[in-house]
Amino acid sequence: MNPEPLWLTFKLATITSVILLVLALPLAYWLAFGKFKGRGIVESLIGMPLVLPPSVIGFYLLLAFSPSYWFGAWIESVFGLRLVFSFPGLVIASVLYSLPFMVYPIRAGLQSLPPSLREASYTLGKNEWETFFKVLLPNCKPAILTAFVITFAHTVGEFGVVLMIGGNIPGVTKVASVAIYNEVEALNYGAANDYAMVLFAITFVILLLVYSVNNRLLRVRQPS
Amino acid sequence: MNFHLFFLFFLVFLAGCSKPSEKIVVATAANVQYVMKEIKAAFEKESGKEIDIVVGSSGKLTTQIREGAPFDVFVSADTKYPQEIFKNGGSAEKPKVYALGSVVLWSKNIPEAELNIDILTDDKVKKIAIPNPETAPYGEAAIQVLKSKNLFGKIEKKLVFGESIAQTAQYITSGNVEAGFNALSIVLSPEMKDQGNYIILDSTDYKPIEQAAILLNHSADSPKKETSEQFYNFLYSQKAKAIFQKYGYK
Repeated sequence: MNPEPLWLTFKLATITSVILLVLALPLAYWLAFGKFKGRGIVESLIGMPLVLPPSVIGFYLLLAFSPSYWFGAWIESVFGLRLVFSFPGLVIASVLYSLPFMVYPIRAGLQSLPPSLREASYTLGKNEWETFFKVLLPNCKPAILTAFVITFAHTVGEFGVVLMIGGNIPGVTKVASVAIYNEVEALNYGAANDYAMVLFAITFVILLLVYSVNNRLLRVRQPS
Repeated sequence: MNFHLFFLFFLVFLAGCSKPSEKIVVATAANVQYVMKEIKAAFEKESGKEIDIVVGSSGKLTTQIREGAPFDVFVSADTKYPQEIFKNGGSAEKPKVYALGSVVLWSKNIPEAELNIDILTDDKVKKIAIPNPETAPYGEAAIQVLKSKNLFGKIEKKLVFGESIAQTAQYITSGNVEAGFNALSIVLSPEMKDQGNYIILDSTDYKPIEQAAILLNHSADSPKKETSEQFYNFLYSQKAKAIFQKYGYK
């Protein structure tokens, strides 16, 4: 078994999860406590990757990234970068595709904190950002951990989008899920099984870890 | 009374469900999908029977057939995959070649006069699409062409692999790549007319692409057996041959 597709998969999942964590923290805070018009629209847009088939996202990204259309042409002329069939293109696609998996758990975590926590912090003279980083976030560690791990796992499982915009290039866009698909098509069930078993095992271990850790953290917070 | 009436309707309903369907399903390699539309129309007109067509890459269809997909005839892009099915007992008859395919170099924007295999090394050609050579015979042939011209090493880094001939065509026509390899039958189809320029590559630079079909197993009393055989034979008829030639097959 060539380990390259696996390595590429975990690299993609790690980079995507880190980028999304940075993007999702302010976004989740805004959604949890912000008062603004058009909340429904913003929430719908963020949640769409949950229900849209990956082929819809893949199709529009294929057109958007193409140098024949304005966005792709603009990126190529300004940055000299062609996003389709490239690793950065996969990262952008994954960030879009996994967005709700990061935002929703963090928002839920923030909303489940007692309002008195924020109020006390304000009363003690902390401003909004200090309150967010020093009081609220440390109190919803389980939610953040869950969000990060689910995002990671979801990106590991990405297939449809990569199949459409990846171009299956070894070492660049050939991730494990696509490698499995190819091996099955080429009737190499043994090789497909090797990749699949690794993904199966690693996904289980990741989830097992997060749930064990979360259970412990939650028990500490709710002494019986 | 009401119960009896209901029971009667129920029986009629059941009878409707169990009426044996004679409509057969033809698993079709992506490169033959457009020509198959025409073959299907000609067959339906001649026989008065209907058929369904399922399109995919030959590799994927072979896997599905091996795992029990309810297809009746498999029209492959090569001979290797039907042979595989025959060896595994999926058919009582050996596969037969119905056409020889040709490879083209195709570009959306490069003018026909400039289009040749050497232009692929040019800096303005950044990406080249090719059907996955591991599962698509046209991709395998394209690699043979590149190697015979000693170009493979020079352009290897530019290659992107389509899952099938159809996805490769999509990469080319959407302008995501500057050029790509494909099947002559695709560029000659009405659907792809005016989608850029192409040249036919020298067929001595690659092993002939012998496209074979295979009649898949049926039980002796299957209602689909007769139509399947009829369609399978139609594929090798003079009428079908003429349609294949229209789409550039030899």
